[in-house]
Amino acid sequence: MRLAYLWDSTKCIACMACVVSCAGSNYSEIMRFEEPNPMRKWLGGNIRVVIREVGRPELRLVSCFHCDKPPCVLVCPTRASHIDRDTGLVLLDETKCIGCKACIVACPYGARWLHPTTLLPEKCPGPVCIDIIRGGRKPICVSVCPANARDFGDIDDPNSSISIKISKSKSERPLESLGTEPKYFIVKG
Amino acid sequence: MKLKRRDFIKAAGLTALTISLPASKVIVDSIRREEAEGASLAPEVRWVKTFCGMCGALCGIEVLVSYGRPAGVRPILGHPQPGLCGRSSSLRWLWDSPLRLKKPMKRVGERGEARFVEVDWDTALNEIASKLRSIVEKYGYKAIAITHHDVWSYYMPLFSYLLGTPNVISHVSMCHVNGTVARGHVLGAGGPPTVDPDYENASYLLLIGRTLSTASMGVVNRATSNEKLRIVVVDPRMPEVGFGNVEWVPIIPGTDAAFVLSLIHVIIEEGLYDAEFLKRYTNAPFLIKPDESPLTEADIIEGGDTRKYLVWDLKVKGLVDHKAAADPDLLYTGKVKLKDDREIDVKTAFILLKERASKYKPEEAEKITGVDARTIRRIAREFALYRGVADDTWYVSKNGNDYDNVRAILILNTLIGNIDKPGGLCYAESARFPSIITVRTIEGKRYAETVYDARMPEELFGDVGAPRVDRVKYRLTPSTFDAILDAIIKEDPYPIKALFVIGTSPIMRDMNTSKVIEAYKKLDLLVVIDVLPQEDVDYADYVLPDTIFLEREEIASTKWTLHASVQVQNRVIDPPEGYDVRDALWVMFEIVRRAFPERAVALGWSSEYANYKKYEEEFLHKLDEGIISKLVATWKLDKEAFTRELNEKGYYILKRKEYYVRPYKTALGTPSGKIEIYSLTALANKLDPLPDYSPPPAYTLPKAPNEFYLVNGKGPLTSVHASLMEPMKYVGDRSIWMNPRDAERLGIRDGDLIELEGIDTRAKAVARVKVTNRVREGVLFVYSQMWGRRSKLLPQNHFAREGINPHWFSKDYVIPIVGGGASNSSVRVRKL
Repeated sequence: MRLAYLWDSTKCIACMACVVSCAGSNYSEIMRFEEPNPMRKWLGGNIRVVIREVGRPELRLVSCFHCDKPPCVLVCPTRASHIDRDTGLVLLDETKCIGCKACIVACPYGARWLHPTTLLPEKCPGPVCIDIIRGGRKPICVSVCPANARDFGDIDDPNSSISIKISKSKSERPLESLGTEPKYFIVKG
Repeated sequence: MKLKRRDFIKAAGLTALTISLPASKVIVDSIRREEAEGASLAPEVRWVKTFCGMCGALCGIEVLVSYGRPAGVRPILGHPQPGLCGRSSSLRWLWDSPLRLKKPMKRVGERGEARFVEVDWDTALNEIASKLRSIVEKYGYKAIAITHHDVWSYYMPLFSYLLGTPNVISHVSMCHVNGTVARGHVLGAGGPPTVDPDYENASYLLLIGRTLSTASMGVVNRATSNEKLRIVVVDPRMPEVGFGNVEWVPIIPGTDAAFVLSLIHVIIEEGLYDAEFLKRYTNAPFLIKPDESPLTEADIIEGGDTRKYLVWDLKVKGLVDHKAAADPDLLYTGKVKLKDDREIDVKTAFILLKERASKYKPEEAEKITGVDARTIRRIAREFALYRGVADDTWYVSKNGNDYDNVRAILILNTLIGNIDKPGGLCYAESARFPSIITVRTIEGKRYAETVYDARMPEELFGDVGAPRVDRVKYRLTPSTFDAILDAIIKEDPYPIKALFVIGTSPIMRDMNTSKVIEAYKKLDLLVVIDVLPQEDVDYADYVLPDTIFLEREEIASTKWTLHASVQVQNRVIDPPEGYDVRDALWVMFEIVRRAFPERAVALGWSSEYANYKKYEEEFLHKLDEGIISKLVATWKLDKEAFTRELNEKGYYILKRKEYYVRPYKTALGTPSGKIEIYSLTALANKLDPLPDYSPPPAYTLPKAPNEFYLVNGKGPLTSVHASLMEPMKYVGDRSIWMNPRDAERLGIRDGDLIELEGIDTRAKAVARVKVTNRVREGVLFVYSQMWGRRSKLLPQNHFAREGINPHWFSKDYVIPIVGGGASNSSVRVRKL
């Protein structure tokens, strides 16, 4: 099983439901902090918004892309960052993390951020979503999306909704040229 | 070790927020597991179905309540309007926000100083009641006014009778007034969304000055589930939906009518219209006399019927009542002999429309709109060939010429006959939801009867029947708040001395902020009932803390769906400890019980309901029972089955959309019963019966190189409440958008500060620039009803103080007769 995320950029209306719900549900303990995510100057959550303007403005939602060849796993000195054998997701074993921040630096997408109080390198999926996924359901960002723009599932299963969407649409993966093999598909048309 | 560290912190955080929760790892783990699974593993964790109240769209959501706190939110799947956006995702921040108004407050400083003392409910209500009594003694009930937005709007007619005043005037002049009036004139419909695009079946959606993502996420859900839908957005700025696979046509502000009339011109010129539809279901073939009125049977026969509109029937080659004509001619021009033997020239309404639209050939329209002629031609052809639908507009009180835009848009839909068909502009099925109060005559005596069967006799109506101040000035308006300001400041047409501001912020909502503040300072009594410190609070004599939607219950019709449907708002959770908040409904009854007891009693209030628990348990129960029993009677439902399904699902679909009904089988609410491309109601009100373009009358057009249009709009985060919540510090955009070419010309870089000066109002403000292609050259854009907060009750460093409120710069222009306001303006820019 290899679980992957899909974001349909043709449908997203930038409503921020996924961004705000991720923060509120996964990291409620820091939701009232003056600066919940000082490192990224952002919400204490796993999805960041980037608007690129080279010609037509483009929206990008940045989070962990669950690479098959993840730089964060390669650089981790304690194997705290690892690819989960059951799901293929990139996860963090908090008991092994020594807080060296190498993973944060190594991630070419800037997906990780430092929790202001635990000082753990946070990333998608957050703690609540990990349990949701283990329960066999789709994470919060998918379940809250009003625009049918998100999906999650097993790309090794040709009948999963995500596999069907990938096969029926033109999609790309973030910065494919880096060779990180993200399991995150951006539908472009 | 690390696992414990995270969990300890999480537990500590929760403990700080919820005092009763033990800070143990076991509890935290179980909360996390239960929140994740959403199952009721413990009675303390549950999902509750309700509808969102973070904006007025009221989408269906489920809220996760975990150990006494809102902990998550998700859309109700299968709901006709499934919800959720950044606003509703912020509700867990709102519920126990430190910013919430927590106790009644009484002003002790000058108006605007925001110096208050906390008082108990009895003191506040008694003092307000006593002031109301003296105002009514001197000026009558009509000197009391209420303004509101969507919150508590169902109850407003009840409040009108409760206070005996006609002056309950909402936000509509700054929102959908032009659409509502135009829909009435052209389609015989009403406010939004009495007609709406059939998003899930449309093939080509034209959004002119409208975007999908501003309010109802149910609409978004419907549109994005439609894989074949193409979307074109016409707007001076690129709304969020433009990030997706849509075409954005940047247009010069205030020129939409010229653009749409140009589309109409192309469709008529190229014969792309649906002639059969126009002949049969519209007044396009009606013959129009030189005095602009339609030719009727009464014109040619003594004692003829003025409601028999004559057309030229190609089959019988003569004048025939439209209803009886076999083949009405759309293109007839000729002479007609009247009953007094005079001969006059007549031509069809369709020809008049054709002539009007021909003023806006694409090359001419390009000069006005800035949209090139080829694009106009292409969109016109695509619209006709793809059987498109143009959204009937929503928040378009912008430039003072918007009424004509909407009429033109509705006519555009009509031309291709895509009305009440799958994928077209459709009439929504009505839930026939019972009104909170109706006037009935029983045994020759008039009563105002509530939905829960209380009866107020006519002698207690007070001034309810008096002319409403806005209708005196703008006779077609659904609501024009600016008229209240004139009544306060100039006592025109009569004085208003007391104002209740309920769940809304005129300072953020209405044009010309300085006029709103001037009026506030002149009032004898200003009561604000709200949840958060909007700037209006600073001017209030009394501030009364309202409940939020999670803390109250309501049954309502589902708004943004074509199906007839009702939904239930469950009480998800109690207010946090120490938040002494009350429903505005209870507050208004309790004020009136103390001021004019006989009025409250007549409307079914008992002094026992002063006890809030009794109100919740008995009065609200009586209210719900009244609504449910009337719905059950209207729809002939089994009461038990209905309430069970409503509670289980959170909604109940009363009737699914039936296509091809209006105007095909049912006459419309227009004078002719047809779609009126040539509006007889407009004509009767001395308005042009056809839409036309005129330059925006609401502001001085920008001319100099440093002058700009300042346009505003809504986005998926727009809410005067949600915008104050912590997430908006990061996801809310407080900048002023400027096109890169303008920025380069003025030497302004992204992130620079600029000073804006209103060309008409001279108001000045400083804001940060975002240099972006998302706005047209010559235009600045800012989100409305979000930023530039000035309440002294907000922390000094609160992020919402940044940015501007576009209404600082707008004048108080109101469209004559129609009553639409205008929130756009023009400004001069100086780099700081």
